[in-house]
Amino acid sequence: MGSLQISKVEALVAQDQKFISTLTSYSLVLIIYANLNILQSSVLGVAASILYFLINGIFLGRAFFEKEDTFFRLMLGLLLFIMLLGFVGWFAVIIYNLNATMSSLVLFVVATICSLINRKVNHKKCHSASKG
Amino acid sequence: MPLGKQGLTRFLHISEIFYSFLVSLLFYLLLLSRTGEARTVWEVLHPAFIPTLFIASSLLFIILFTSEKVAHNLLFIIVHSVLIHSLFSIIFPAGDLSGQQMVLGRTRLVYDNAIVHGWPPWTVETVPFQIYEWFKGQSFQAALSVVLSRMLSIDIFWVHLSLIPVLWGFFTPIAAFLVTKTLGGNDKAAVLSSLLLSAFPYITYFGAISVPISLGFIFFFYSLFFVLKNLDSSGYSKNTLLMWAFSVLSFLSHSLTGIMSFSLLFLAMVYKSYRSEKKASPAAVKILLAVSFLFCASLLPLSLVYLRFFAPVLYTSFTLDKFYTLPAEEIVGLFFLGELIYGFDIQTILLVAMGPFLALLYAIYLLYRFRRNSTAKYRTQISFLFVAYLIILIDYRILKLFMTELPFNAERLWVIDGFLASPFLGLAICSATSSLKKLLKTTSPQTMSIISRSSLSWRRVLRIGGLLFTLNILTPIILGGWISYSLHTAYPQIAPLQTTWYELEAVKYIEENTKEKYIVIGDQWTTFAGEVIVGVNNPRAYYFLEFNRTGYDLFRKILEDPSPQVMIEAMNVNNARVAYFIVTEPRLGTEEFNRVVYQTLKNQQLRVFGIFGGGKLFVFTYEKT
Repeated sequence: MGSLQISKVEALVAQDQKFISTLTSYSLVLIIYANLNILQSSVLGVAASILYFLINGIFLGRAFFEKEDTFFRLMLGLLLFIMLLGFVGWFAVIIYNLNATMSSLVLFVVATICSLINRKVNHKKCHSASKG
Repeated sequence: MPLGKQGLTRFLHISEIFYSFLVSLLFYLLLLSRTGEARTVWEVLHPAFIPTLFIASSLLFIILFTSEKVAHNLLFIIVHSVLIHSLFSIIFPAGDLSGQQMVLGRTRLVYDNAIVHGWPPWTVETVPFQIYEWFKGQSFQAALSVVLSRMLSIDIFWVHLSLIPVLWGFFTPIAAFLVTKTLGGNDKAAVLSSLLLSAFPYITYFGAISVPISLGFIFFFYSLFFVLKNLDSSGYSKNTLLMWAFSVLSFLSHSLTGIMSFSLLFLAMVYKSYRSEKKASPAAVKILLAVSFLFCASLLPLSLVYLRFFAPVLYTSFTLDKFYTLPAEEIVGLFFLGELIYGFDIQTILLVAMGPFLALLYAIYLLYRFRRNSTAKYRTQISFLFVAYLIILIDYRILKLFMTELPFNAERLWVIDGFLASPFLGLAICSATSSLKKLLKTTSPQTMSIISRSSLSWRRVLRIGGLLFTLNILTPIILGGWISYSLHTAYPQIAPLQTTWYELEAVKYIEENTKEKYIVIGDQWTTFAGEVIVGVNNPRAYYFLEFNRTGYDLFRKILEDPSPQVMIEAMNVNNARVAYFIVTEPRLGTEEFNRVVYQTLKNQQLRVFGIFGGGKLFVFTYEKT
């Protein structure tokens, strides 16, 4: 039952209808940025980060591990997301630095990449479904 | 639901609840053991921790043998894994001394925006060295930690300390599970291998320290999984992309894991072409396979030698010195047991060697079983993993016996060895328990009927009782004991005094109460404490690099002559206005500490800035007028 509900939420996020998931992801980046500069609250930071992680982890999990079970899809999606975050962050650090603005920019870029990958996969699915 | 099944479900629920309670208790015991002054975790670890861990591990094995829910089982294993890898970060105030603190010292510079013009934070003379610094691993880990730290709005200190224990705890059991599945193991064998990772002391140790190579090991394990998956797929697939992506990330994290990932990736490519072309030209592809094996085995040693073209600080080379200088028995010992021949007791040697040895035996057995069936499912994956295992065995011996001035300990390869061994170990144990179950099944119908007639022979009772005991009690107890003893071996028994609470307090106090640029003269232990709070070589709050000659000389000089002249000399390094001199009793020895403190106070030229740890640490200061 619980697993079924998680799958439903996952499908809803991955559908990204009217860019709702992507926009939520961007809003979370804004919240993280504001929190970094103004509030500096760990509670808000952790809450926003968990949501941000989940949305983008689901995007990548659905795109790359669709055939796996929900648990593995989510975990592998999260791992890919952490990899991507590290890679874009690494690129930023070797060319410039990682201050608050650059870190938020990294989050923005990663969210965009995840969203684009997800849209591409969704588009492929729609295309093959309409063909079928 | 039949009564038997219902009873089993109830037993499982009770076991799961009891296990959850035990794990919570274990975390609580770790928190109780937290200390501000200790050398090893064993000095302060709660006496109930190891017995409770043994019971919890055995119970977890019972759950794994009984339950069918994979996700539930893996969640339990993840929690167990995080616990096992958190001893340093929970017990010590600044985690394990040295390595991971040095990484944090450099990461701090990024976090505190002390560097603004790209990595590395220090000047490098040549372009190849610059490239080497980019790919060294510290930059990748620093970037990941800093981004996570900013996202969570938690200080980099805490993010860095928990980064590897958490990532390792979460992702290595899943990787072991997935690799075992690609070898044809069922869910039970796969979850067993996930938990059996904790039976390898080197795996436990590297999962407990936040250093770049640990991150590299995680990515290596996943690159191995996708390499194995890719062996089955034809042409370009998502697995191919992921195989490359994880190998690149593994390389970005550490050269050792990266080179090993790429050598296995290359071997996989040759394996695939071998499979597709072996019918057309069998002799040619066999030669290609043999040459590729040699190439892959030599990739790591050769790369380490050629790394010096990028980094002028490396002097790795091939040598036969050990054969000329060491006695023959030591050479033989090093060949078979490696570093274990130096000062390890027989139990430790057995514990470290047992897992890989059993795994190797089982891999050979599997290959022997498949010898006449070239189309057997999973044969390719099993033989590939076996060949990968051989490469590690060969590379370790080359590094240990034929090379000198390595940039890291050759024993780090034992982590990869453990990764390759755990799936075979899971398969072997699962196969053994399945055989026992089959034996029990063939006996049990007779048993039931005979029990009801009360005419069961004692021999049969003993046999069935023995089987039941072995399956349900003895096996989980042995495996639980193995994991607990492995933990005992994984965490060092001897170590220098870890960074103490008063050293951290002193460093924080200086940082919070100094507005101007400052420099600190102290021993390397002071540097370790300083770098976790303000970083190392931070131009605003300067601590010398851990093994810096100038820093060491200044410290020796001020111990002999605690005068403003030495402080002024230090201030010139970063053009500081204030200098501090830290002296700590447990580091210096009581007699020397008392002499230095007495002499400094007597001179009255340096002001006491603070006293910490009830008089164990003095901070003296001098300000430019």
